Amino acid sequence: MKYVKPAIALVSLLVTLSIWGFIAVYRAGYEPNVLQTAIIAIILISGVYAFMVHMRRYRDEQQGFPPEDELSNRIKYKAGYYAFIASMYVWMLIFLFKAFIPDAETMLGGGILLSAFISIAIRNYMTRNYDENQN
Amino acid sequence: MKTRIKELRTARGMTQVDLAKEVGVRRETIVFLEKGKYNPSLQLAHKIASTFDMAIEDVFLL
Repeated sequence: MKYVKPAIALVSLLVTLSIWGFIAVYRAGYEPNVLQTAIIAIILISGVYAFMVHMRRYRDEQQGFPPEDELSNRIKYKAGYYAFIASMYVWMLIFLFKAFIPDAETMLGGGILLSAFISIAIRNYMTRNYDENQN
Repeated sequence: MKTRIKELRTARGMTQVDLAKEVGVRRETIVFLEKGKYNPSLQLAHKIASTFDMAIEDVFLL
């Protein structure tokens, strides 16, 4: 797969820019609240996870393994389905508790990031514990 | 699905990595196949059986 190296470069660039952005915001004197700090943490975790995934794919490619195969594709589709269902419930909860969220931007941004985080967590769990006879 | 992959692989002195490269999948796929947690496609089952010079039904047991 030819996309692995550019993907690593892109993810590295985005993570670095995000970290610089956060440092710049802190230095400018802005202090984010708990919710915004959680959002920043999710962005960083997602970025680092994406970087690790692409590094693993690159290593596999160097060793002669395919980055994706039929099992990893099946896990991806099933994890996507479960993540979609979980995200629906999360969005419902977000709307129920919207009184505690300061503004619409934080709500939308946080919700999207939380959905991404759920997707990562479910896929990671299924990669380790996949059992076709039980799922 | 039960398989004889581990038994056949070790009898031929192959590692999971060797078999994975031979049939063109990731090593994790061989791990899950050996544990009986993944039912392979007909194409993959055929490739694995061909690697061992056996029929599919002699490698994969229902």
